[in-house]
Amino acid sequence: MTSASLGAHQRRRRRIFWPFVGPALLLYVLFLALPTVSAVVLSFTSWIGAGGTPVFNGLGSYRELFGEEAFYDAFVNTLLFLVVGGVGTFVLAFLFTMVLREMRGNKLIRAILFFPNIVAPVALGIFLGFVFKFNPTKQGLANFLIGTLGLPPLKFLQPEHVTWVVVGALIWASAGFYITILMAAVDRIPAYLYEDADIAGASPWQKFRYVTLPLTWDVIGIAGVLWTIHAIKIFELVFVLAGPGTYSPPINAWSLGLYVFDRSFGAGGTPQFGVVCACGVVMIALVSLFVLALRRLMRREAIEY
Amino acid sequence: MVAASATLALAASGCGGSGESGEFSLPTAAGYFKTACPKAAVKPAQKELTYWSMWTKDEPQGKVLQYVINCFTKQTGVKVDVQWLGREVLTQNVAPALNTDKVPDLIDQDVTKMQAAVVAANGAQPLQDVLAMKTGDGDKTVKDVLAKTSWDFPGNREKSGKIFLVPYTILTNGWWYNKKQVKNVTPPKTMDDLFALFDAAKKSGKAAVSQDGDIDTYNIYYFSQLAERYVGGGGLMKAARDKTGKSWTSDPGFLKAAQYVERLAKGKYLIDGWDAAKFPQVQQRWADGESDYLFVGSWGPSETREYLNKQGGGQAIDYGSFQMPMPQGATHDIIEQKPIGFSVTAKAKNPDAAKAFIAYFLNKKMLAGIPAVADNLTPRADLPVPADLKDIKKAFDDPKKEHVLFQDATDALNGGTWADNVLFPENNALLKGKITAQQFVDQMASKSAAYWKSHH
Repeated sequence: MTSASLGAHQRRRRRIFWPFVGPALLLYVLFLALPTVSAVVLSFTSWIGAGGTPVFNGLGSYRELFGEEAFYDAFVNTLLFLVVGGVGTFVLAFLFTMVLREMRGNKLIRAILFFPNIVAPVALGIFLGFVFKFNPTKQGLANFLIGTLGLPPLKFLQPEHVTWVVVGALIWASAGFYITILMAAVDRIPAYLYEDADIAGASPWQKFRYVTLPLTWDVIGIAGVLWTIHAIKIFELVFVLAGPGTYSPPINAWSLGLYVFDRSFGAGGTPQFGVVCACGVVMIALVSLFVLALRRLMRREAIEY
Repeated sequence: MVAASATLALAASGCGGSGESGEFSLPTAAGYFKTACPKAAVKPAQKELTYWSMWTKDEPQGKVLQYVINCFTKQTGVKVDVQWLGREVLTQNVAPALNTDKVPDLIDQDVTKMQAAVVAANGAQPLQDVLAMKTGDGDKTVKDVLAKTSWDFPGNREKSGKIFLVPYTILTNGWWYNKKQVKNVTPPKTMDDLFALFDAAKKSGKAAVSQDGDIDTYNIYYFSQLAERYVGGGGLMKAARDKTGKSWTSDPGFLKAAQYVERLAKGKYLIDGWDAAKFPQVQQRWADGESDYLFVGSWGPSETREYLNKQGGGQAIDYGSFQMPMPQGATHDIIEQKPIGFSVTAKAKNPDAAKAFIAYFLNKKMLAGIPAVADNLTPRADLPVPADLKDIKKAFDDPKKEHVLFQDATDALNGGTWADNVLFPENNALLKGKITAQQFVDQMASKSAAYWKSHH
């Protein structure tokens, strides 16, 4: 290749660079970067939204935010969803990747496991509200099953407990999605590696630990990032499962997403977009922190196969 | 009964003369939609009107309003462009439009929500002049036909001190029971009488009280009803606004009110499972007869009747109702209300047409749709109500009673955040029997003070 033709090639590349990048960049700046920046700016104001003008109030919104029990409850619950829900979802997903590969009809099982994912969280929440009903004369399905075991019924939907029910529901509803992603990665692993392991007499755990895990590592990393983003904005499931579905539930059950909703379009109040934006900034910080930590934790040399 | 309440009402509204048409009997729901359109007393010059409604098209109120709109158009030639947007109309539709020039002329919601979402943003105009408009009932004006208590209170004033909302529906609340299930109930005069009724219910093997515990604003009924009887209208709000929080402990009324709530909680009067509730499951358990009493708003009969109708089986409740009795040492005989009504936006292009419509809807024959079809109370005391609501209407029209907004409007204080963070969590703990009345007022004092430190 001569240097002249290289120059022409580069020139051509440079010519098509902006037409290709431009539209995406424009959309990205317009709909993602600008709103993010404006959220940060607005978080230093007090603003009731339409009809009012944002008034600079320094750290006032943050002071209000951190002075609210509702925010603490929402923050702790969101961390619970993120960490406990995440660990639960991935443990379940790993378990399935261990057994699903060798199972007959695994395509069908995968499809079935994916089902909860295609149901809207709102519908799921309403449905689970019936499942976890506590009524001594007409128990919901969960308490009915507990009853057949001879155990006393549980008050699942008590505001103090409902967060755990939501965590359970989340794991159940999300596992299928992550199983699908992880299994797609597992399918790419050459079969002879597993055959080799079989000949060497490896247990399912050993095969998972020494073959599956290292070879799907980068996919797990991405799945972890997806989970983090998903978990921090959980809202609908909490709204309909913990509350009546028309008003916000008591604050013990709130998530950060619900906090943002309630303070923007909540039942009866004047919107407080300054505080809402401050909460949004906290959420962005939380996502960034977890994603960075996760990437750092998952950093390994990629294995070629 | 109807005649008696009408007389009371006339006294309440400060209107001396008797109704010019004599006896008015409420039409049936089907009959209402055949009412001849009354003549419009006010004919606006503007020929168009935009209305964004809090109702949906198919609910009873939506149907009634549509009928009135048709009549109004027929009698005045004003074309009404109506959009049925549902309960979140203010926060999701009106508020976002306030910065634009595409605002509706006419909007509606309850007075507290209107204040929080629209008036606070200077989005509504004063409606004082509507009071002087004729409704088409002879020479009577809006001011003549409406109970004064339904519009004349501090919560219905914008910055200049004028009213911003003209009501057409009244929500109130009280104890409900099924006359077929609990026979010969005499409304309790004292709190001991009330607890005696509850004890009798428990003795008969039923639960005493149904309570949907996942709604904070339902859980607060007991404390707010009792506290308001000690401190009067505005008293609860005053304590809520107290930045030192000291009012909660210095005014003995709050402790006394909390002690009754503690008694309700510790006495296990609330139905098993109320605290793991999913609305409306627990009020449905009352409708099913599992408990004897239910404290809820005047919408109680229509909601529970709808449930029973959907269940089939032909069950029907004979609704009875009474108010919370006066607790010992209390001096304010209150009844809670929440008026729902119209406002006209500040930027409205057709304010005259909007105001004329408000006056037209308040005409007796038109407004009759609210009780007849939607089974709700109206601010017109001379309008009879269906049998279910007779007891509660009588209590509401009692001129001796002090009319106070639901929980003294503290649910909207500071965008609702004070109640969410301070009042509701403490009240829930009290109602669950987790804390004592003394702990409740102590916590209210310290938490309220802490809240106001971060919320100036």
